[in-house]
Amino acid sequence: MLNFVVRRLLAILPVLLAVSLLTFLIASLLPGDLAYVILGDQATPENVAALRRDMGLDQPLWWRYLSWLGHVLQGDLGRSFRTGQTVLQAVAERIPVSLELMLMAEFIGLLIGVPVAIACAARAGGAFDRFMTGSAFAMLSMPSFLTAILLIYLFAVELHWLPATGYVPFSEAPLSNLRFFVLPALTLALAEWPGIMRVLRSDMIATLQEDYIALAKAKGLKPARILFVHALKPSSLTLVTVTGINIGRLLGGTLIVESIFALPGIGRLLVGAIYTRDLVILQGVVLLVACGFVLVNFIVDMLYAVLDPRIRHGHA
Amino acid sequence: MTNIAAAVRKHAPIFLVAAFALVPPAQAQKSGGSITVGQELEITGFDPLKVGVYDTSTFTAAAAIFDTLTTLDEKGEAAPKLAVSWTHSDDYKSWTFKLRQGVKFHDGTPFNAQAFKENFDRQKDPANKCRCAFYITNVKEVLAPDEYTVIYNLTDPAVNLPATNTIQSQNNVVHSPTAWKTKGDDYNRNPVGTGPYILKSWSAGDRMVLEKNPNYWDKGRPYLDRIILKPLPDAQSRFASLQSGEADIIWDDENDADNIMKAQKDSKLTVHTYKGSGAQVYAFNTKQAPFDDVRVRQALVMSIDRPKMSQAISNGLSRPASNPYGDGSWVKCKDDGALPFDVEKAKALLKDYGKPVEFKMLVTATPRGRMIGQVLQQFWKRAGANMEIEQVDQATIPPRAFMRQFQLVPWRIVDLADPDPQMYANFRSGSPLALSNFADPELDRLLDHSRTTADTAARIEDYCAISRLINKEAIWFWTFQNTYYALSSAKLKGFPKIYNGVIDVSSTWLE
Repeated sequence: MLNFVVRRLLAILPVLLAVSLLTFLIASLLPGDLAYVILGDQATPENVAALRRDMGLDQPLWWRYLSWLGHVLQGDLGRSFRTGQTVLQAVAERIPVSLELMLMAEFIGLLIGVPVAIACAARAGGAFDRFMTGSAFAMLSMPSFLTAILLIYLFAVELHWLPATGYVPFSEAPLSNLRFFVLPALTLALAEWPGIMRVLRSDMIATLQEDYIALAKAKGLKPARILFVHALKPSSLTLVTVTGINIGRLLGGTLIVESIFALPGIGRLLVGAIYTRDLVILQGVVLLVACGFVLVNFIVDMLYAVLDPRIRHGHA
Repeated sequence: MTNIAAAVRKHAPIFLVAAFALVPPAQAQKSGGSITVGQELEITGFDPLKVGVYDTSTFTAAAAIFDTLTTLDEKGEAAPKLAVSWTHSDDYKSWTFKLRQGVKFHDGTPFNAQAFKENFDRQKDPANKCRCAFYITNVKEVLAPDEYTVIYNLTDPAVNLPATNTIQSQNNVVHSPTAWKTKGDDYNRNPVGTGPYILKSWSAGDRMVLEKNPNYWDKGRPYLDRIILKPLPDAQSRFASLQSGEADIIWDDENDADNIMKAQKDSKLTVHTYKGSGAQVYAFNTKQAPFDDVRVRQALVMSIDRPKMSQAISNGLSRPASNPYGDGSWVKCKDDGALPFDVEKAKALLKDYGKPVEFKMLVTATPRGRMIGQVLQQFWKRAGANMEIEQVDQATIPPRAFMRQFQLVPWRIVDLADPDPQMYANFRSGSPLALSNFADPELDRLLDHSRTTADTAARIEDYCAISRLINKEAIWFWTFQNTYYALSSAKLKGFPKIYNGVIDVSSTWLE
């Protein structure tokens, strides 16, 4: 197992390096010069040239990349030129919000997706299965901003059950905190469950055709026991991967959802940085998020290996 | 007292002003309670050296945390705030303000002339490289001859300086010198002023909590115990927050026409509208073909159907503009020389020009910018001109404009208490902001005359003549007047006029 972990870790290194290069290039690829942005009204050619010199923007790209990477490796991701905050400070303030949102969304997604998948697989091709598969397809094609607005109008404006926007830290008021997260997490979950459901459903249908299930049925075991005890675990291997990848995908969703529900998370930080051309924050956040995604995938790989020993021995 | 101060005293008429004229007309104010304000943008900070220029969301917070020397009363005229009275020299190039005594910053630092001067010097100092310095280039120096006297010496005359200094902008609000010196980099997010509210807490991206300043100099004010400012970037959910009661007042604009109209029909909500001065404007670069020919410029202006454009971009809420002053300005013209909407005439002018008319126009890379570009494109196509839209981000437009790297650029004349600062900067030949590169001796004469004349009627004459000249030459054109919106719960009272788009909640109360 140790051997496997080390091999995987070594494989991650070039990925991380590529991530850092691409992140760095964002600043160069985006239209608009940082010097112009900072100087604004005072961007005369002389001022721009002087600032570019001060900031090292006149140096060759590779040199700037290496010097940036050097700082990053020492934990210095830079400072926002607008707020004076360091990237790490800004991210540390925001990350708990996004993590809570993503975990809650994934939890609700599983809560809807798993039972529906099991029910569908139990009577594959039946009326319920066909209805849910159709609904899943419809939900997948629904843009999250539309889901969000519909949920807000129903639950906040019409029914007054839940708040439309806002946030309270969990440490301050745990119950209120959860109330604020219900609608945003549900918005994301409504786009998540169809994927979860479809993967688990098809895996379960396959599992249910295995000989040992037939044997279990022949033995007269209750259908519920067969479904939950004998079929669920072997069918959930793909689900683990999908759940892992989803967490990365959810980050994309938070960009829109955090803005609509005014949650102060990483997504909002990123949108704000793009809006104000705060490239230092933009670079830093994208780098950290990308690294986080790589890390999640690594964890999923490890889990996979635990669930199926064939994988860590390189047979699968 | 310095010689200058003495000279000013001798020559200038004294403005007699009531010392406590800040509170809007009598209504029974109630103390206590808390409101939540839904804003469009996240505030990045308050230190002019860091943020450069305040945006509309920062204005709201600045209006509560800080004070300015003067304020605008309900009639739109300068009234006392940190200054109690003011006088000017005959040539309007020097203004002397007498400061209010006994005022303290939230950190206990006394507010006096020295503190005010330090604020100004810090912004002006070239070593600090503040973007904010651009807006005070007309001020040569600020002097503090004694503890409660401040003198502005200007490079050009300004007949209405106390009125134009009222906006809660990066240049006008007064910070505690002790605070920025001791806090350094952290000052940006820990502002200290003399205003009615004190910053209590600020969690990034979420909320800023302001609490009543118990030692505020204006006794009895403020009324609310607490103001919570929240960035709610999405217009739909911002409105939903108002409807569901999580926000008490929200910022809004014409882009969100449907919700404004919905709010107008809702008895639980109040729509606050302010028809300001100024306009949304566009400048032609007259040094570049095809705009070096007046016929082309006139043709393009004449092919714009403003009512139809208003319908397309804001459901008809935008009010067409025919001059740069607008309904909110004291400048009212019987004849502003506006060119009529006449597509046939426009076609004839372009035909007369003889060459194909093709050009690029800068627009902001936002849905609104794109839409405006597309609408104009269609109007001009009908007249026979081909426009290509060049989308750039907001931050790129000012430098491109200042370096004259454009053919046609969108711009804005904001709501100021006096047209002079912007008109002079935008149209006086040689000004860095005279984007059109257009020089005309008569225009210069009118601009010079309007800023050295105290007689309002004569100034109105000047500004109308200026409008006629610009409209005739079509070096700039105006599409819509500035209108500002705030939507609030009907319980919120005492909300003042939205001067310059500032949602100032510092003197409101809950019924």
